[in-house]
Amino acid sequence: MAKIKNLVLETISVHITLIFCFLLGVADGVGGWRDYGVDPSQFSGTLMRTCERLVKEGRFVPSNPVGILTAGYCELLQNKVPLLGSSTACIVVLDRTSHRLHTANLGDSGFLVVRGGEVVHRSDEQQHYFNTPFQLSIAPPEAEGVVLSDSPDAADSTSFDVQLGDIILTATDGLFDNMPDYMILQELKKLKNSNYESIQQTARSIAEQAHELAYDPTYMSPFAQFACDNGLNVRGGKPDDITVLLSIVAEYTD
Amino acid sequence: MSPVFPMLTVLSMFYYMCLRRRARTATRGEMNSRRAIESNTRALPINVEIVQYAKEVLDFSSHYGSENSMSYTMWNLAGIPNVYPSSGDFTQTAVFRTYGTWWDRCPSARLPFTRTPPTFCSQDYVELAYEEPVYPTAVHILETYHPGAVVRILACSANPYSQNPPAEVRRLLQASCSTVRWEILWSEAPTKVNGPQARQFTPCIKQINFPTNLIRLEVNSSLLDYYTELDAVVLHGVKERPVLSLKASMIDMNDIDEDEDEEKYGCGMDTLNKQFSVVTLREWPTNGYFDKLPYELIQLILSHLTVPDLCRLAQTCKLLYQHCCDPLQYIHLSLQPYWARINDTSLEYLQSRCTLIQWLNLSWTGNRGAISVSGFSRFLKVCGSELVRLELSCGHFLNETCLEVITEMCPNLQELNLSSCDKIPPQAFNHIAKVGSLKRLILYRTKVEQTALLSILNFCSELQHLSLGSCVMIEDYDLIASMMGAKCKKLRSLDLWRCKNITENGIAELASGCQLLEELDLGWCPTLQSSTGCFTNLARKLPNLQKLFLTANRSVCDTDIEELAASCTRLRQLDILGTRMVSPASLRKLLESCKDLSLLDVSFCSQIDNRVVLELNANFPNVFIKKSFTQ
Repeated sequence: MAKIKNLVLETISVHITLIFCFLLGVADGVGGWRDYGVDPSQFSGTLMRTCERLVKEGRFVPSNPVGILTAGYCELLQNKVPLLGSSTACIVVLDRTSHRLHTANLGDSGFLVVRGGEVVHRSDEQQHYFNTPFQLSIAPPEAEGVVLSDSPDAADSTSFDVQLGDIILTATDGLFDNMPDYMILQELKKLKNSNYESIQQTARSIAEQAHELAYDPTYMSPFAQFACDNGLNVRGGKPDDITVLLSIVAEYTD
Repeated sequence: MSPVFPMLTVLSMFYYMCLRRRARTATRGEMNSRRAIESNTRALPINVEIVQYAKEVLDFSSHYGSENSMSYTMWNLAGIPNVYPSSGDFTQTAVFRTYGTWWDRCPSARLPFTRTPPTFCSQDYVELAYEEPVYPTAVHILETYHPGAVVRILACSANPYSQNPPAEVRRLLQASCSTVRWEILWSEAPTKVNGPQARQFTPCIKQINFPTNLIRLEVNSSLLDYYTELDAVVLHGVKERPVLSLKASMIDMNDIDEDEDEEKYGCGMDTLNKQFSVVTLREWPTNGYFDKLPYELIQLILSHLTVPDLCRLAQTCKLLYQHCCDPLQYIHLSLQPYWARINDTSLEYLQSRCTLIQWLNLSWTGNRGAISVSGFSRFLKVCGSELVRLELSCGHFLNETCLEVITEMCPNLQELNLSSCDKIPPQAFNHIAKVGSLKRLILYRTKVEQTALLSILNFCSELQHLSLGSCVMIEDYDLIASMMGAKCKKLRSLDLWRCKNITENGIAELASGCQLLEELDLGWCPTLQSSTGCFTNLARKLPNLQKLFLTANRSVCDTDIEELAASCTRLRQLDILGTRMVSPASLRKLLESCKDLSLLDVSFCSQIDNRVVLELNANFPNVFIKKSFTQ
């Protein structure tokens, strides 16, 4: 797992190991709240910590990651503290007994599953319009109806089998907007074995590379490409927080 | 201590004191779950101590949080602590619904039952199950906010995870109430603990002679400044019975007192049950001066005795037996303090004395098979005709038949408390509509459904006090409010705590229809938006409001506060926790206008910081201004 802090860290990730499943979660706080005096990391952080707590207390079903998101979001509303903010969310659950991966994705964070050097599964970006992803949010009362607030049910959910050796990469849009698939795959090819150090090293190098590209003004990033396709004439990377979680499906050892 | 004690006793005492001292000084370092510790001994057998966190929360009387939530709910008491040693108002703790004396000071406050023994002051309880039964050596309670509420710790001999089928257990229990025993490990009157800081509470517990994995805490928060919050309860115990449990009670003077207390607490009922039917009282030639006293005077003297004492007195002589069995002594009867011992047999023996009973408190009784549906029904058939007030809070033995019997046998019923009776099936509540004379109905945390409630509201037009807190099965509260506005014109207090979907329409109908409302709890109702004008409408239409809770309604704003200041000058208690939109200026207006205001909760109101609270406190010293914190 690697994190590059760019501006104020808004992206939060959690990973939880239980006996029967393994969980990853990533939430990317929407930065615009800073203009209203709200710390964008408060919402995403509390959301992920609440999901973590739900999972640790067993209040979840592995095949229903959307349920985790929904329950986590509802718990946020039960807090006495008046939380404000919004974030995307991506939750990935590996069920050890059935060897299936269950995912829930709301917004433009996401995951890739790489097998034999090729992307076999990926999440879809959920955008309302350009640079405006789906997001869970809690708005101040005066802004209700004005602030974008998607229901957790709007999350995309998928389930599929995984095999030994599959690489699961979960990241915020800071990665996908700056690094196209082939570059990510190139980095992943360098992964020789599944020990912790190599994975950590690879995650770090992916994140660092994305970070460099983000600040390259001439580089035609996926983000710039998409903007051009929508009629905006831009080049360059997209400076953003980058969080990368890298995991490999391996034999279970005690 | 006499120096003449034999050698063995000296050694016993030494071992006993080592064990007691060990229990008192157990440190937090020992709090890894299930780590075995060798106790230090001399020439005595090794006893391995087990440390456990609660595995499961089995039962409780109330909590602050929402059903199905992890925030501020009793289920947080299971497992390892989440917050301790931090102090503060955190979601991951267990919080009861009430604190202080505020609920005794509002229009919905109920008159207390007389004859409550002074040793019983419990207001709420929670029952915890542990994995392994042990002989307890210590109980550590981790309190993380406003500690000091725990007043009693009990241990049960029944194993909640045992394999006995329920019918078999019930048969065994019916035979003798001592099959399920509750022993008080520790009990004390509530004491004021200064400050909200977290602490580990380790009272000196009594040694008991059975292993237990079911612990019950009883709390009284009346002396606390804010909600108490508990994080975990750690049970230390040994698997093997400690050698000296009998000797111990002879050595420590405190233990002796507790034993006597225990006697009073428990044996009165046993005596009642066992000896009542075979009363052979000696005939004395005279009863001394008692023969000279008028009947009414003896009755008056007896009216100060607690029920167990009354039962004991009945065994002394025929005259007093007659007095003690007089139904006039049982007009108001509270069996809640004796919840651990009341069973079908007790009810049977009390039957003949309770024919004129008007107030009956069976709250907390009858669980784990102690009272059966038939036993309860039989009792009510004999004693229900004059019943005016019936308290059945946490009565988990109640089913539809019971409710049917209540409504049929108690035609004069005016007050019915079914708080936390979450085992009653939804269709059972339809019967309540038959009791047209109902003035007070408490359905907190029950499964009452829409149709039954509408029916009740339609027929019970005398209703003055209604609690629908956390009634999660109701789909449309606007409809309910509309029915109330139309039919329950005499409503004085209404508890709609956590009523998820009430909107401004419901509020409008309520405000127009129930003009006599003095108390309204709309805490945690997220669908109410101040921008619709619902709060200002409320304030204008209900000038008699004394208590208004708008807890966690994030839209409450200055306009609302100003309207309250203008229209509701009799306001005594106001809770506006968690709004960002109320400024100090409007609060000042409110405090100046509402001279009777005594409670103002501005916790988590972002514009009201500690400096403002200090200033308001200085200018308005009669108001308790609450500002909770996390850290």
